[in-house]
Amino acid sequence: MSKSITLKEKYPPGDFAIWIIIYVELITFGLLFLGYVFSRRGDIELFNASQLSLSQTSGFINTFILITSSYFVVKAVNSIKSMTQENYKEFNTQASKWLLLAIICGVAFLMIKITEFSHIFGEGINLSTNKFFMFYILLTGFHFMHVLLGSVILFNIYQKTKIYGYTPDDHRGFETGASYWHMVDLLWIVLFPLVYIIR
Amino acid sequence: MPNLKKTLEVVWIVLVVLTIFAYLVGYLKYVSTALVAVLLITTFIKGQLVIDYFMGLKDVRLKYRLIPTLWLGVVISLIAVAYYLPVTS
Repeated sequence: MSKSITLKEKYPPGDFAIWIIIYVELITFGLLFLGYVFSRRGDIELFNASQLSLSQTSGFINTFILITSSYFVVKAVNSIKSMTQENYKEFNTQASKWLLLAIICGVAFLMIKITEFSHIFGEGINLSTNKFFMFYILLTGFHFMHVLLGSVILFNIYQKTKIYGYTPDDHRGFETGASYWHMVDLLWIVLFPLVYIIR
Repeated sequence: MPNLKKTLEVVWIVLVVLTIFAYLVGYLKYVSTALVAVLLITTFIKGQLVIDYFMGLKDVRLKYRLIPTLWLGVVISLIAVAYYLPVTS
């Protein structure tokens, strides 16, 4: 028991490879965020006017949804970590319920984003409309793909919990998927005020 | 374990409250420079809460926690620089 606690304290949760991916993703998005703010300096009025045409309510709801889904995923991870050989089926079932809630949040995020994109594209706005919308479509589109992938990963983990696939000795894959999902949340936490609020 | 459970709930509530604050600020036509600073600080706090309690890096070796924390700090600091540095035309 104490050995397992020591290991958890030494290394981040999940496979180490996912952390390399997470760090690379953070750097990539970080560069895009900085590209956005420094380009804004070239035409502040255009950026502010374009930003006002976005739905801040959609951005807010999506932030709430992602934060809540991350909370559900942590609850699922805690369920899996609490299990023993005797009760692992019960805890797999418990984790699957939390995961289902997180997946529903992920799908809701995607639906709201699709509605937002349809509205924007319906108005004839595209990548070449202006610099603000180029960054908006790139940043949120790129993030959208990460949420989509994250939802697929969570669904795969969910399916495995339904067949009691995680045991006290084997749940690293679960934590790997969870870590990816939290990264998606972290990126949106910076993206939301940057693109929707600050002007 | 009960303490951990409570901590998670508190973290979620703080994240939601700070998000509501940002949303309300978004209603202002002109966001003052002081408010931008507050928004950036609250964004850092939100990000750090996710890193520590959701990603679970609070209790792992410092170097693994420092990478995302430094990323967050550098990105938010440079965003502040871009907003506060006078534009020369």
